[in-house]
Amino acid sequence: MPSDATPLDRRQRGALRLAALLAAAVGGIALLGRRADPAAQPLPPPAAAGGALTLGAVIALTGNANLYGQDQRLGIGLAERWAADRARRDPAAFPRPVLLSLEDGASDEQSAIAAFNLMLRRGVVALIGPTLSQQAFAADPIAQRRGVPVVAPSNTAKGIPQIGHFISRVSAQSSVIAPLSIEEALQRDPGLSRVAVFYAQDDAYSTAEVAIFQKALTAKGLRPVSVQRTQLGQNDFQSAITAVLPLRPQLVVISAQAVDGGNLIRQLRELGYRGQIVVGNGLNTPNIYPICQRWCDGILIAQAYSPDLDTPINRAFLALHRRSKGEAPPSQLTAQAWTAYQVLFEAIQRLQRGGGLQGVSLAEARRRLMTELLSGRYDTPLGPIRFSPEGEVIQGRFFVAEVRMGPGGRDGKFTLVRERSLEEGGG
Amino acid sequence: MIDNGLLVQMLLGALLGLSVYLPLAAGQLSLATPAFYAIGGTLAALLSTRWALLGGGVDGSLPVLSLLLELLLGGLLAGVLAALLGGLVLRLRGIYLAIATIALVEIVRVAILNLPFTGGAVGIFGIPQPFAEASGYLLPVLGLLTLAGWFCQRLEALPLGQAMAAIRDDELAAECLGIDTTQVKLRAFVLSAVLAGATGVLAAHFLNTWNARQGTFDASVATLAFVILGGSRTWLGPVFGGLLLTALPELLRPVGDARLVLFGLVILLGPVLAPQGLITPALLERLGSLGRGAAR
Repeated sequence: MPSDATPLDRRQRGALRLAALLAAAVGGIALLGRRADPAAQPLPPPAAAGGALTLGAVIALTGNANLYGQDQRLGIGLAERWAADRARRDPAAFPRPVLLSLEDGASDEQSAIAAFNLMLRRGVVALIGPTLSQQAFAADPIAQRRGVPVVAPSNTAKGIPQIGHFISRVSAQSSVIAPLSIEEALQRDPGLSRVAVFYAQDDAYSTAEVAIFQKALTAKGLRPVSVQRTQLGQNDFQSAITAVLPLRPQLVVISAQAVDGGNLIRQLRELGYRGQIVVGNGLNTPNIYPICQRWCDGILIAQAYSPDLDTPINRAFLALHRRSKGEAPPSQLTAQAWTAYQVLFEAIQRLQRGGGLQGVSLAEARRRLMTELLSGRYDTPLGPIRFSPEGEVIQGRFFVAEVRMGPGGRDGKFTLVRERSLEEGGG
Repeated sequence: MIDNGLLVQMLLGALLGLSVYLPLAAGQLSLATPAFYAIGGTLAALLSTRWALLGGGVDGSLPVLSLLLELLLGGLLAGVLAALLGGLVLRLRGIYLAIATIALVEIVRVAILNLPFTGGAVGIFGIPQPFAEASGYLLPVLGLLTLAGWFCQRLEALPLGQAMAAIRDDELAAECLGIDTTQVKLRAFVLSAVLAGATGVLAAHFLNTWNARQGTFDASVATLAFVILGGSRTWLGPVFGGLLLTALPELLRPVGDARLVLFGLVILLGPVLAPQGLITPALLERLGSLGRGAAR
């Protein structure tokens, strides 16, 4: 070899050395990553150090779903406080301490997967999340393969509990809720016949929900005079609206996320539409008030939760919510996130009291917890709920609310206009 | 901190970085990588969920051989499309080429969103798994990266690689030297597409689900950031950039809500402090002559 190599030789040698270094680093990380799975570890008794079980929550604190994630973080936090308070007052009834580990699952699939893996490495006994159905399709199979129970607080798409035995949800799927608000609109105006539909074409939740709306319309003998496709994150809907208004619709049905849906409502009203508006679950958050302001007034929405429900558990929820957020009523997302924590907490305590967590490994505890979770009945802020053997929520009560905006147009309220009892909610 | 699932994502990032690097090595700023990535992923998702011959089981498993076949087909389809489109697109230069390739990404995204068989906005879910654990993906992803890295390393000494370097430095001069610049650029574009297509196949299985959001303009920007931070003058730059920028948001988890602010700062400060990227030819030369200085 010549003593003075050319720059190209030196560069190539340098590249090989660096590549070898990188390969060694990747190999080292891969070896470290094979660290023993905590699933095989035995559970310590509840009183011992480390005897607390950890519940993992993976929700969207960043990305375009963070409006929902903030509501969910609040709900889980309130439920944690409520549960800790109960355990303090009656330790015999709540023998197993529970800790919460919360991570940002962002709004995309990769982040949800990374957060799920992180939680599994931490040895959580069960998981709450992720926020979006699309994320659930990516991350839930990981938990399913590792046998970790997942309770979804806000995945309403079709096919979530079907991912596997360990996957369940407390968020009733859109097919149960969405048609109720159409019924309400028809009751208010039995003569209506011209309906226009708007939906975000590139959003999984909106496209799934709009199909249900359309089915509900067809069942009532209504055929939309126009179906307009919008885009997630779109701000200007003038051309879609001006295409629809000459058709003189009497009812507009909107399936979109909070920000674009709020803007759409505002522009519809500004351009002169005076008829009824029915919106889907994406607008089911008080976060829409600042967007559509006084133009929100009168929109109809079907909900899985109503702050007006007068039960002890809902009063407890409302009291805690008031303490942290003032007079603003909680959103459905907050109530469902609370419920996800509550059902897991109560199932763990029942299992502990029955001796099901004595001398078992974490993997076995997860299996038993799943069985216990599915077999229980829960009195939650959503009303009494239970699960189908598949993990689908069976909820008895649903609500139709109307948005009433305050005089300033800055603040509003989902006002309960109808309560519906369904014998079998989950379907 | 880093588990094997994250490691697989990092390696997929490195592969995408290399895919952006290849046309750039021939002086072409092409942002089409996510389009071919989306095409590869969609093909894998469709084949493994709809085509029983591949052997996807009811238990959600998939033979490894089928994965290899998909890798081949995904790379091939992306490559053929790139060869067909490249002739048109590569007539443009600089920023115009970048815009045209962004348009390509949008066209593919909208097509996947609207085609009757790609599942619309929900996409395709329940994609069969060739491996039970994330670690299983390490071997094929690492294998593909090694192959791509070896090829890029060889490229520097091959006539094609030297022609690419000549075009990058001065296209007019390269043309005067008798280099068929159109052919060379097209080859670099096709190679980049093959790599992106194959990466998409692996990613579709790894993510369990595939939809139109996987190949968007955002992904173009992210992959370009891999190359800019890592360095665009050597193939190790994009690899390093891809590994680092994919891992960083996860490594920053202990800082809580501030992690994306810090991540943004790294992307901002990276090019300011290291305008040529972190891995430069000068660094490699220094690394290559280490231990030889004493002998001289």
